[in-house]
Amino acid sequence: MTEFAQQVISGLASGGIYASLALALVLIYNAMGLVNFAQGEMAMLATFLAYTLIGRGMSYWIALPITIVVAFAGGLVIQRVIIRPVERAPVLTLVIVTLGLATLVNGLAGFLYGYIPRDFPSPFSVQTVDILGAAASYRDLGVIGVSAVVLVLIYLLLQRTTLGLAMRAAAHHPEASRLLGVRVSWMLALGWGLASAAGAVSGIMVAPILLLEPNMMQSVIIYAFAAAVLGGIESPLGAVIGGLIVGVTVNLAGAYVPGVGGDLQLAVAFLIIIAVLVVRPNGLLGRRAARRA
Amino acid sequence: MSTLLELENVRAGYGQTRVLHGVSMSIADGDVVALLGANGAGKTTTLRAITGGVRWDGSITFGGRSLNGASTEAIVRMGIAHVPEGRGILTELTVEENLRLGAYLRRDGDAVAKDYDRVFEYFPILRERKKLSASTLSGGEQQMLALARALLMRPRLLLLDEPSLGLAPLVVRAIFDIIRTVNQSDHVAVLLVEQNARIALELSSSAYVLEVGRVAVAGDSTKLQNEESVRRSYLGY
Repeated sequence: MTEFAQQVISGLASGGIYASLALALVLIYNAMGLVNFAQGEMAMLATFLAYTLIGRGMSYWIALPITIVVAFAGGLVIQRVIIRPVERAPVLTLVIVTLGLATLVNGLAGFLYGYIPRDFPSPFSVQTVDILGAAASYRDLGVIGVSAVVLVLIYLLLQRTTLGLAMRAAAHHPEASRLLGVRVSWMLALGWGLASAAGAVSGIMVAPILLLEPNMMQSVIIYAFAAAVLGGIESPLGAVIGGLIVGVTVNLAGAYVPGVGGDLQLAVAFLIIIAVLVVRPNGLLGRRAARRA
Repeated sequence: MSTLLELENVRAGYGQTRVLHGVSMSIADGDVVALLGANGAGKTTTLRAITGGVRWDGSITFGGRSLNGASTEAIVRMGIAHVPEGRGILTELTVEENLRLGAYLRRDGDAVAKDYDRVFEYFPILRERKKLSASTLSGGEQQMLALARALLMRPRLLLLDEPSLGLAPLVVRAIFDIIRTVNQSDHVAVLLVEQNARIALELSSSAYVLEVGRVAVAGDSTKLQNEESVRRSYLGY
């Protein structure tokens, strides 16, 4: 039982990481009708920035917010410079553009930092603390804490502020929002900034576990896809819940299902995607039928 | 009264298809003007040209300022509220959130609070449904929400695209009464696009009838109402 609780806590920690990246995917999906295939690579590049800052002797707790702010600005600039000119293009064009962006960012990171995996510092020790009989590592608890803070902040921004309201309006109904005076194009750029910031957090949280290298996020983004699809792809809250479920499920499968172990965990994520698409295509919190016929 | 909105020889269309072939009209401050005509005559396109939703050439001025090249957001900020075809309700949001977006541009908090009270007085049902998703409202309620949201923008000019569409006669009557009240008490000018010519002519002081992208008849609403020939050939009643 205690081991089970331990696995759940550690699953929640991974889940927080997936939730942050899944939320980033959902924010862009709502604005563009398409996920940003470069989301993971953008997060990876931001993580390298944090790595560089910390390597120059900066404290982790200063490097983290600086990286988040720079990632936000970077996401905004990418939307303005690369995405905006093709905003109205067919969906296939956007797919190619974001895939191209992913390749570009990946190559850039490889060029700048090389492909040798690097240790990324974590401010949390791997020592454990006893919680209700389960031994939880400080690292897992720290990841859960940081993810929770970031997700709550984004939630408050979107749901409780007028700016967040305008961002949601612009994403769902650009034409109608323009008629209310909302600067839609800027709202979409802010959405990219926010997504990029959330992604950066996932990258920084996962780097101490996976080791930092340009391809680090390629498995993480699969889990994040699974989480976003499970949550209903349009729902920010669904992405977070989906992230936690995927994190725990994958971790438990790795621990208890014979043969899954560490190697087949990614297959579990694919299984979740397929199962959701077959059984409940709208996901857990996808557009529900709360409307008149 | 001074001219608030003036269109001169406005031509507009979608891609290769030209819909407006030179429309000229003007609306005085505080006036109610009806824009009538059959389906496809260009009524909706005229409204969309005014708020920059379609490419046009010619001249459109609002309060003496040219709207040429201005973005929709900028035009709206000048004081034009446009309730578009299909009402433009944000169905993912709640009723209250829709209303908050109406007041999105305003910085005069106290006056906004008063305006909320007033629109809830006009449409008590919206207060009851505040927390519900806007997608759960009936057609009439959605039209009320669209109108309430437009009023919260405190516009100088209100563009209404077929407010009566798909609504029961009693609801139409209620909505038109409120449009009249708003026009009289707040001095908001209204450009009203309608299929229902009878009710539009009752409310408006003057009217333009469009026919395939051109103004076919224009004049005083009472006169148009009383002219047999105009009524029969253009207004169909």
